[in-house]
Amino acid sequence: MSAKRSLARGWLVRGAVAGALAVAIALPAAAETTITIWSHEADEPAKVAWREKAARNFEAKNPDVKVKITWYDKPALNAALRTALRAGQGPDIFYAEPDQVEYITNGFATPLDDLVNWNNIYDWARGVWTHNGKTYGLPQEAYTIELYYNKELMKKVGVTLPPSGQVGQAQFLDIVKKAAAAGITPISQGVGDRPYPGVYLSEEALLRRLGRDDYGKLLTGKLSYKDPRVVESLTFVKGLVDAGAYPKSFATLKLGESHYYFHTKPGSLMFPMGSFYTGRAFVPPDKGGQPEGFPLGVMQFPAMDKGACNQCKSLTIGASFILNAGSKNQKLAAGMLNEMATPDMGTLWLETILLQTAIKSDPSKVGGKYAEYFRELLDRNKDAQYFVGIPRDHIQGKCKDVFTQVLNNAFPGGLLTVDAAVDMLNQGCYTN
Amino acid sequence: MAISRPAAPATRARRRSAGQPWPVILLFLAPALLLYLGFTIDPAFRTFYNSVHTIKPRGVEEFVGLAHFRELLTADPVFWKSVANTMIWAVAAPIPDVGIGLLLALCLYAKVPLARFFRVVWFTPVLLSYVVVGIIWMWVYNFEWGVANELLRWVGLSGLAHSWLGDPKTALWSVMFTHVWKWTGFNMVVCLAALYALPTEILEAASLDNCGWARRLVFIMIPIMWRTLLNLLILSFIGKMRVFDLVWIMTGGGPLWSTETVSTYVYKRAFEWNTFDLGYPSTIAALWFVVVLAFALSLSWLFRQRDRLEY
Repeated sequence: MSAKRSLARGWLVRGAVAGALAVAIALPAAAETTITIWSHEADEPAKVAWREKAARNFEAKNPDVKVKITWYDKPALNAALRTALRAGQGPDIFYAEPDQVEYITNGFATPLDDLVNWNNIYDWARGVWTHNGKTYGLPQEAYTIELYYNKELMKKVGVTLPPSGQVGQAQFLDIVKKAAAAGITPISQGVGDRPYPGVYLSEEALLRRLGRDDYGKLLTGKLSYKDPRVVESLTFVKGLVDAGAYPKSFATLKLGESHYYFHTKPGSLMFPMGSFYTGRAFVPPDKGGQPEGFPLGVMQFPAMDKGACNQCKSLTIGASFILNAGSKNQKLAAGMLNEMATPDMGTLWLETILLQTAIKSDPSKVGGKYAEYFRELLDRNKDAQYFVGIPRDHIQGKCKDVFTQVLNNAFPGGLLTVDAAVDMLNQGCYTN
Repeated sequence: MAISRPAAPATRARRRSAGQPWPVILLFLAPALLLYLGFTIDPAFRTFYNSVHTIKPRGVEEFVGLAHFRELLTADPVFWKSVANTMIWAVAAPIPDVGIGLLLALCLYAKVPLARFFRVVWFTPVLLSYVVVGIIWMWVYNFEWGVANELLRWVGLSGLAHSWLGDPKTALWSVMFTHVWKWTGFNMVVCLAALYALPTEILEAASLDNCGWARRLVFIMIPIMWRTLLNLLILSFIGKMRVFDLVWIMTGGGPLWSTETVSTYVYKRAFEWNTFDLGYPSTIAALWFVVVLAFALSLSWLFRQRDRLEY
């Protein structure tokens, strides 16, 4: 009997020890909090490294916190977010861009006014994410719409650009014609997987011709596309299209492919692109980057005849982060956002990503082999008057769909006359 | 004298059903039924329910009656464009789909040289995912270096080289061609099985009567295979009425909505329009479900009537 009791006691003791061990093992794990982030730009190594660095910095300052970033491509991220947020789930922090106002209107974004140190962020950038007096997104990436060109090919077609890098409408058309005559694709551009690159030429022409106020009215449906200035601008773009400005594969060429088309094969003279060009181009050539020693130049979009603002330029916010209103770790997640917005991280962004940022930082610290590029980019933006936002940031719903189909795809693809494009845009977007 | 009469069918059924171990049957059926209820029936009912509501996140629902239907039918030109494209696809594509499948099956049935090799080659596209097929054919159609245009240039027809997916006149047909390429192998396999199931005595009798290959095909083989072909046509038709993947990958519905199908439009309205509302997209889906169901039932009924007349 006593043997039985002692056996039972032995098992009890062993059970107690095992239980205590299990609790001891489980306790630190229970105390550890994980901040989850879902981010786009999995295919941009410099941005991946930058955000992972911010995460590790935050972990170092908060030993009980782990930061887990899940990397996506944009369409996959958007699909995952919509499903997760609808179900009341999703990460603590997620990537968004300013045109995705649905996260705000549906209450998925926590106002960040009191959670983020806004002293580190440029006011204009904060303004892009401000709706009804509250700020919902932490802007990280800023970019301007630039016109890149191949300096050697420009010489080859016999064109010398003025020091300002800006030519007039007639000269620009002449450059396009000269390139086409020389068998060089004048402008690399493709809309196979993005709803915006095909609009670049039109939007910059419209902005310069109309000036910031009227351009803003046009995008918000308060100015008709039948306005003679709009028609003149689109007629200019149509002239470029008809002169063979774009590749014949324009409709199916993808964003990444259009970069490769410009700098590697077959090569084009010019390439309108957001200044996030660097994210894809300044990586090793075997990863799709531009060849070593590629003669990259930055010029200006053409000055429009009777242009109201030929120094105008589109500037907008790209990569931003939203704090999920359903997150149970609001304060910690806000801390992580602040970690991504320090001046040191801003400078690191400039140094490693070579792209403008919404975080206050010192561009003069940028060195290395791309310093010359960065100086040229800053020089091209020296006297610029910015219009904040690209069209997609200002339009929604039906107008957005029509705008994409017409001004991104069909019109630059040579499928529509100016009159037809104007009619369709007015039907979809003009509200007066 | 009592005359025993066979039990009436209803009584027989009752007796049979009384002898069944219903608890066990239900136990085994339950998992499949639950999955079916959860993943098919409930979403279908939910779609109809959503179609008369504005559905916002966090369970916010607002009853709007038939407002979505009214807007869809009277004020949404893109919907009608997508309906037209889908109908063109659903009506035009099944014919080459099944026709080419039958021809390939006949080649294999006739034991052409390398028949085994061709059977694998022709069936392989069926095994590929839409993403792979879409990307391959986007390369094929590429203006500058795509195989389609390179071939045209090689045979001296460079004037016909074309941006196949970039022109509204050719985009829909180009995507349809790719879809036919992908699914012909499936139809081929089904037709081949039907061919091997043909009664040999009839075919041999026809041969003895000096009936040629073509006449045997038209007057004997196809009539006997008619039900198989009919099923393939209906399946193909229904599949085309719901086509999404390939269009989404290759053109996204463009250019100028020329390849927009009802399914891609539903997806756009649900996930691409900067709104979390599922009401309006559900209206399109519900309406289209009814249309597809009506077509499928009508076609089955129509062909059944024809069968009765013929036999």
